[in-house]
Amino acid sequence: MSATRPLLVCVYLRGAADALNLVVPYADDRYYALRPTLAVARPDDPRAAAKDRAIDLDGRFGLHPSLAKLAPLYGAGELAVVHAVGSDDATRSHFEAQDRMEHAGPKDEPAAGGWIARHLDTRPGRRAAGLTAVAAGTSAPESLRGAPVAVLRSVDEYRLGKTEDAAFERALAALYASRPSDGAPPLDADLRTAGRDALATLGRLRRIPEPSARGAAYPEGPLGDGLREIARLSRADLGVEVACVDHDGWDTHFVEAQLLPDLARTLGDALFAFREDIGDAMDRVVVVCMTEFGRRAYENTSLGTDHGRGGIMFVLGGGVRGRRVITDWPGLAEDRLEPPGDLAVTIDFREILAEIVRARLGNPRVEEVFPKTRLRRWGLFG
Amino acid sequence: MSDRRLSRRSLLGAGALSALDLTGCDRALSALTKIAGDRVPDPIEPPSSPAIDPIHHLLGRAGFGPWPGQVEEVRRIGKEAYIDAQLDPDAIDDTACALRTSVIDTVATPTSLLFEFPPEQVEVELQRHALLRAVYSKRQLYEVMVEFWTDHFNVAIGKSLCRHLKTADDRDVIRAHALGRFRDLLGASALSPAMLVYLDGRANARGPKGERPNENYARELMELHTLGLHGGYTQKDVMEAARCLTGFVVREEWAPGLVEFVPERHDDGPKTVLGHVIPAGGGRADVERLLDIVASHPITGWFIGEKLCRTFIADRPPASIVRRAADVFHETDGDIKKVVRAILLSDELAESTWAKIKRPFRLVVSALRAVGADTHAKGDLLDHLTRMGQPLFSFPTPDGYPTQGDAWLGTLLWRFNFALALAEDRIDGTRVDWEALHHALRGDGLHGDTASLARLARHLFGRAPDETELAAVAGYGAGRDPRRVALLLSAPAFQRY
Repeated sequence: MSATRPLLVCVYLRGAADALNLVVPYADDRYYALRPTLAVARPDDPRAAAKDRAIDLDGRFGLHPSLAKLAPLYGAGELAVVHAVGSDDATRSHFEAQDRMEHAGPKDEPAAGGWIARHLDTRPGRRAAGLTAVAAGTSAPESLRGAPVAVLRSVDEYRLGKTEDAAFERALAALYASRPSDGAPPLDADLRTAGRDALATLGRLRRIPEPSARGAAYPEGPLGDGLREIARLSRADLGVEVACVDHDGWDTHFVEAQLLPDLARTLGDALFAFREDIGDAMDRVVVVCMTEFGRRAYENTSLGTDHGRGGIMFVLGGGVRGRRVITDWPGLAEDRLEPPGDLAVTIDFREILAEIVRARLGNPRVEEVFPKTRLRRWGLFG
Repeated sequence: MSDRRLSRRSLLGAGALSALDLTGCDRALSALTKIAGDRVPDPIEPPSSPAIDPIHHLLGRAGFGPWPGQVEEVRRIGKEAYIDAQLDPDAIDDTACALRTSVIDTVATPTSLLFEFPPEQVEVELQRHALLRAVYSKRQLYEVMVEFWTDHFNVAIGKSLCRHLKTADDRDVIRAHALGRFRDLLGASALSPAMLVYLDGRANARGPKGERPNENYARELMELHTLGLHGGYTQKDVMEAARCLTGFVVREEWAPGLVEFVPERHDDGPKTVLGHVIPAGGGRADVERLLDIVASHPITGWFIGEKLCRTFIADRPPASIVRRAADVFHETDGDIKKVVRAILLSDELAESTWAKIKRPFRLVVSALRAVGADTHAKGDLLDHLTRMGQPLFSFPTPDGYPTQGDAWLGTLLWRFNFALALAEDRIDGTRVDWEALHHALRGDGLHGDTASLARLARHLFGRAPDETELAAVAGYGAGRDPRRVALLLSAPAFQRY
């Protein structure tokens, strides 16, 4: 039915992941001067234990050692890193920056709805419905605002009542079909559509098989759980085209060295497990990891980093021209930092997303997904 | 304290951890509170107009929706008198609610002693306490304001010591000042041990040269708590504010949770915030100067007033009422009562029927109130909230749960599941006397037919059901099938207020 439709998986690292410590610019001495206690050791630093050193990617950048599971994916050419990437929003506010990034409108103009919702609206084919978009977890992200979305922690718990009751579902559908007699309050159509979509999703999820025996080693927690369910939905071929999952907790103002390794390990392990689990179907899957902004280049007095600018993206998938750190590296010299001391943004995140939308998701109307935005190409796909 | 942990009261309080259903103690408590006022009056005459009853509407905004019979009661008192009474919560007798919550030990436990309790117990009891208050308190407006400030000064219990300390924050910050003066509330929040942990204020110290403080709280103070994102502050203001805020720590041992000022950690140089100079040598008083500056800034009044209007009136409130709310805030120097009163008695509010979509907490509380439920708010009920996307005190980021309706449309299935579980009496620790409710509503002596179904719909919706609504529900099952009630509670009309 929809076996050929590609699947976009969007992993959002909420809280502003520290780009400079996830993918370390180890060839830049300034990095070590700015971060006397937090810096990750060079890949060849004889003073550091092997397990504490960055994992070299291209002679300039290295992965945080806790992202070790990503190294083989990078080596196999399936994973690309985008560095010093971000948005034109300079508020350094999590919420504003996330909003702006997930809505992805033109500079200084709010866009209606989320960018993924606009993609679903403009892509070729039937109107998106029911299970087209999935948010793994207990709430839907802004990027899906305006799209029908099924929010679920697991496929198995998406049930109504103790036993199936078709008449009850029909009655509910009738309640959500009828327009109110006393005029339409705000969000009336949205509420009704959401109710009917929930019921349609329910029907389709009944057809899903039990979890596979493949048993990839997902890490515990919402990210691993979410990616496991997304892989399952992908295998069941129910027409899921986009799936979002959050990985929270990156706001490392304080004792970053104690927080970042676990966050990074969960990320690397979860992506690796997902890749294993998906198997050959990876040809039609693209995973993008993004975060609202990076963190201050210098560390603060509480051994953490404050809100910065230039951030990081990871793109993983069958068609990705990987094994590259895509960057227009601004450098960390004093005069190259954006005041008060942040890695500058030199690649607009929309340029990367636009390539995914156009080249990988087969949607030529990319100017409507990212309106009024100059979109340079970075050759992310072959 | 170990003896205290084993006391019967504590065991009851930890109900979500133990497997207690409606135990003997719960039943005794239920009976007591019934005597004290938590009962369904008989008969009830539900609203009959096709338009939403104005008092039903008001009770959805000034509270979590009507308890059976409350619409008639408030109609007798009059709208303005009711609101004025609600604005003086201490004068409202709340015995029945106090009885319900009396089994919860931790919420009344002094901060340092909270750490004697296992974190799971503290966390669950705080959630249960919030639910019980919202369902049963006669001080409904106060509880709505508690919810508002809980989101505004969000502290997630998931972060380290906040599991224990949010209980103190709820009591000593939010509940202490929910209808007080904004500046007092802000001051309490700024030095609340939970907030100092949550936004890293306790880690904010001067550097060797006085530079590079931790900006976390300073930024949210301006962006979320006072001025708002476009409130005209700069990155430089954030950094200067952060310097004012250096020096506070939260004890982890010996009186854990105690907030102390450590002068050596404080940056005592001169600062300039939003154009105001804070001279050197201010020490501990710097924080008060800073809070005076941001709290009295005209933008703050507008920001808070607008947010209150979005909460009380509509996701996009009319500009007229936002202006009035901001003016009142400004004229009264941030007297929250006065601002809320102006909003609640406004024409804009009266005209905004059904403009809002209930968040999960409100959906659950309004349903329990509407059917006069007997609940002890056990873990099962808390799980329903989690499934709907609103586990209490658990929003991870400092902006709090969203107020706008469209943020909540992806989890309707879990609302349907809650409605079914409530109607079928499948929620552990929660029971509904359906017989009493049907009897009170029956009026005309009919049983379970379309006419009495319509009366139940009128009671739940605050207006007469339209033909399609009634046909959809009446077409399902027969007589008093509880699933018909579940359909009404799942209907679009019950998702609104």
